[in-house]
Amino acid sequence: MNDLDKKTSLLVRILGGERRQKVTIPVFAILIGLVVGGIVIAATGSNPFSSYHNILQGCGLAPKPSYGGKKGMITDFMDFLDFTTPMILAALSFAVSMKAGLFNIGISGQMLAAGFVSTVAIGYSSLSAGVAKPLVVLIGLFVGAAVGAFIGFLKYRFNINEVVSTIMVNYIFRYIVTFFINVYYVDPVSRQSKQIATASRLSLQKVPVGGYKMTIPLGVIIAAAAAVFVYIFIEKTKTGFEIKAVGASREGARYSGINVGRNIVLAMTISGGLAGLAGVTYFLGYVGSIQPGTLVSTGFDSIAVCLLGNCNPLGIIFSSLFISALDNGSVYMTSSSGVEFEIADVIIGVILVFSACSAFISYLIDKKTREGKEER
Amino acid sequence: MIATIISSGLAFSLPLLAMALSGIYSERSGITNLAVEGFQGFGAFAGAIAAVILQTMSSTGVSFGVSLLVAFVGGAFLAMLHALMCIRFKANQVISGVVVNIFAMAMTAYLTKHLNAALFGQSSDKLILNVAPRFTVPVLSKIPVLGAAFTNVYVFEPVIILVVIAAWFVMYKTRFGMYLRACGDNPQAVDAAGISVARIRYIAVALGGGFAGLGGISYAYSISSNFSANIYSGYGYLAIAALIFGNWNILPTLLACLLFGFARSTGYQIVLMAELPSAYQDLIMILPYVLTLVVLIFFSKRNRSPRALGIPYNKGQR
Repeated sequence: MNDLDKKTSLLVRILGGERRQKVTIPVFAILIGLVVGGIVIAATGSNPFSSYHNILQGCGLAPKPSYGGKKGMITDFMDFLDFTTPMILAALSFAVSMKAGLFNIGISGQMLAAGFVSTVAIGYSSLSAGVAKPLVVLIGLFVGAAVGAFIGFLKYRFNINEVVSTIMVNYIFRYIVTFFINVYYVDPVSRQSKQIATASRLSLQKVPVGGYKMTIPLGVIIAAAAAVFVYIFIEKTKTGFEIKAVGASREGARYSGINVGRNIVLAMTISGGLAGLAGVTYFLGYVGSIQPGTLVSTGFDSIAVCLLGNCNPLGIIFSSLFISALDNGSVYMTSSSGVEFEIADVIIGVILVFSACSAFISYLIDKKTREGKEER
Repeated sequence: MIATIISSGLAFSLPLLAMALSGIYSERSGITNLAVEGFQGFGAFAGAIAAVILQTMSSTGVSFGVSLLVAFVGGAFLAMLHALMCIRFKANQVISGVVVNIFAMAMTAYLTKHLNAALFGQSSDKLILNVAPRFTVPVLSKIPVLGAAFTNVYVFEPVIILVVIAAWFVMYKTRFGMYLRACGDNPQAVDAAGISVARIRYIAVALGGGFAGLGGISYAYSISSNFSANIYSGYGYLAIAALIFGNWNILPTLLACLLFGFARSTGYQIVLMAELPSAYQDLIMILPYVLTLVVLIFFSKRNRSPRALGIPYNKGQR
C-alpha cells in the first residue's frame, strides 16, 4: 500500500458510509475552509484563533468585552437571526430549482424585484401594520414567483439555458431598479431608496425587552414555515416526486409519462416565490431600504449554502447559520482585530470548492471500501 | 457621432469576443464553461497587479504589454482550477463554474485590499491603471465614416484580433484543433486514436482562461482605468450568450459580439444626444441584456451544442 492509499483509507474511516457522508463531507469541507482561512490570517500577521473568536462575538454567540447602552449578547444574536433569515429562504429557493435539475442563479435579481415592488407598493403607503405586513409578504411571494415562472417558461418553450437567462434578468432588474430609485425614490443623504414606513417592516426595530432594545425578525417564522413546506412538498407529495424525477433524468421522466415542461415551470415558480420571500425579508426586514446599483450577494452565497446543506431543508438551516455567521461576524472581526472582512468570502469560496468535489470524495470512498471488501 | 459609436462599439466588442472565445475553446472540448466571468476577473486582477508594480518603474508601453501577458497567464491559472474540478474530480460542471466565479470574486477582492496595503501602504479596493495607450492608423483613418474604426484605437484591439485569428487557425486548421473539436463531440474516438482526452481538455480550458483574462484586462483599461470589484458586471455571461448565439463557432460569435457592442454604444450616444440626465444611462445599460434574451429566444431552439458537452469522460463507457 502506498502513501496515497493510506491517506484515502484514513479518509474512509473518518468520513464513514454513504448516510454518514451527507454530514461528514460538508463538515470536512468547512474544516478545510477554516484551516485555509486561518493560515491566510496567520500569514498576514494576525491571530486566527482570536479572529474566529471575534466572528462568534459579532454574532452574539460569545460575549464581547463591552457593550453599548441597552445592547448585549442577546441583541447581537437577534441581529444575527435577522441577517440569516433571507439566506435560509434564498438557499431553499435554490434547493427547489436544483431538485428539478435547474440552476436558479437569478435569486439576487428575483429578491431585488420582489423587494422593490413591495417597497413601492406598500413600504411608502400609510397602511396599518396589520394590513401592510401580510401584503408585503404576499406581493414579494407573487413577484418572485412571476419572475421564476418567466425563466421556467423560457427554458421549456425556447430551450434557453436558465443560467444565462437568470443572469440576464438579474442585470436587467439591477439597472431598472437603479434607474427608478435614482429618479423617484432616492434619499438625498444616504443615496439609498427612502426608508420604508415602520408599519410595513418585517423586522420589528428597537423593541424594549427585559432592559434591552432588540430587533425581532418576524421573517424567521416565514423561513421556518418555508423550510417545512419545502420538505413536505419535495419528499411527501406526488408533484414533488415528479419534479425530482425530472431533475434526475428529463428523458426518463418523459418516458414515464411525466409532463416535463409543466414541472420545470412549476419548480422555477416555487423557487422564484421563495426568492421573493428572501427579497422582502432582506429589503423590508433586515435593511429597510434598497441600495441602487448593486445585487445583494445573498443570492449567490445561497448556492454555497444549499450545496453545503445537501439541498436538504434541515441541512440548509444549519449551513445558513454557519455561512451567515462568517459573513455577519466578519464586520466585528475587522473592527476589533483589523483583519479584512473579505477573508470571510475567501473562506466561503474554499469551502465551496471542496463541497463541489464531494461527489468525487464519495466516489473515492466507495471505490476504496469495495476494494477493501474484495481483498478480504 | 457615428464615429464614436463605431470606435467605442469596437472597444467593447473585441474584449467580449476574447471572452466568448474562452467559452468556445472550453465547450468545444466538452467542458461546460460558466466560469468565464471569474476567469476574466482573475486575469484582469493578475494583469492589473503586474501593471501597478511596473507603472512605477517603467514606461506605459512596457507595463501595458506585460499586463496583457500576465492577464493571459492569470486567466489560464484560474482555468486550471475549473479544469481540475471538472476533469479530475468529476464535479458537476455547472456548479464548478459558479463556484469558480464566487471564488474568483472573493479572492481578488481580498487580495486587492491586502496588496494595496502591503505594496503602497494605503487602504483601497482599487488598483489604479495608467491611461491605456491608443493610436490612429495614418491613411486608413482618413476614410469617411469607416475611418473611425482606425482612429483612437486601443492597443489591445489589434492584439485581440491577432489572438482571435490565431485561435481560429488552431481550432480549424491544425491537428490539435481537430482533436479539440472531437473531444467535444466524440471523445471515445479521440481515445481510440491514442490521444489523452483529459490532456486535450486541460489545454483547451487553460487556453480559454487565458483568452478571458485578456478580455478582462482590456475592460479594466478601457471601461474604468482601474481594477475593482466592478470588473464583475456580467460581461462574462454576456459572452456566453454570444457564443450560444454563434452556435459555438468563432465567426458567427464575432457578429454577435459586434451586435452587443454597437447596441451599447448607440444607446449611450442617444442619451448624450437627447441630453437626458445621467440616470438614464442605467436604462441604456439594459440594452445588451435584453438583446441577449431576445436573441436567445430566436436562436436557442435550433442550436446544437457539442454532443459530449458537460459529460465527464469515462474510458469504460461506450
